[in-house]
Amino acid sequence: MSQFATVQAPKAETIAIQVTAPNQVKLSGTITQKDPANDLAGFFKALHTAAVADRLAEVRADVSGLTFVNSSAIRLFVDWATWVKNERGHRYTLRFVTSRNVTWQKTSFMALMSLAKEVLAIEHVP
Amino acid sequence: MARPGDGGALSGRTLLRVICTAGSGALEYTHAFITAYTADHLRGAVAQRLSVGAYELLANALNFGSVSSDIVIELIESDNMVGVRVANDAISARISMLNEHLLKLKTNAEQTFLEELRRSVTGGIPRPMLGLARVTHEAGLMLDLQVQERRVSVTAQCRR
Repeated sequence: MSQFATVQAPKAETIAIQVTAPNQVKLSGTITQKDPANDLAGFFKALHTAAVADRLAEVRADVSGLTFVNSSAIRLFVDWATWVKNERGHRYTLRFVTSRNVTWQKTSFMALMSLAKEVLAIEHVP
Repeated sequence: MARPGDGGALSGRTLLRVICTAGSGALEYTHAFITAYTADHLRGAVAQRLSVGAYELLANALNFGSVSSDIVIELIESDNMVGVRVANDAISARISMLNEHLLKLKTNAEQTFLEELRRSVTGGIPRPMLGLARVTHEAGLMLDLQVQERRVSVTAQCRR
């Protein structure tokens, strides 16, 4: 049974989260709360742990509908990429699905690629 | 290409002025209001850039400013430029740190953005300052710093 699909998405005011088997998570809305780690860090960690347990080849994180995030939220994506990069057991590809029309996604994920290119893939949707 | 620190003081018509104090929701609700206003009054791409500027300047003011002082956030337009200005009180050590950071951004915004992103992972002192790097590198806004005694005023601006 997929552990990934059973990870519970947190309820946050400005963001909608959907986890779909076998390997997809979709986030949309905005992340503006001062410390988004309270809601999201544990959730991302649980997805990572489940992906390793399920021995997934790839996790698709669709952030194309996230129109605004603060810098604390960007750090959460950096953390996730770092966990995968430092994983000693099963390593998977973390694929971020991004939108070309959202400025923060272009610059942040390009920069993130330079920090962890061996475990990341970036896909653009119109 | 944005050149932080080269922007010069923006003078023109004030479209909006919000005064807030540090406290629960000050950042989220003020930012939501300014974002809605800019989205309604400015071109989409410019509105998006100013939304990043407004958030990060306000977050900085709330994180690093003196808690007892009011924070004033303004949206200003001239014939060619539009910008967001945040003013608050701060202690001199914070002002020096801000000045130093702006100089780094002026030298190389992209490199500084990458460095701050990297420091987000490793931590460090002073704590990572990704916000202003986003304003210059990601949003392509020019930053201008004005200091009068303890009153700090940072403007992030771009062409309309």
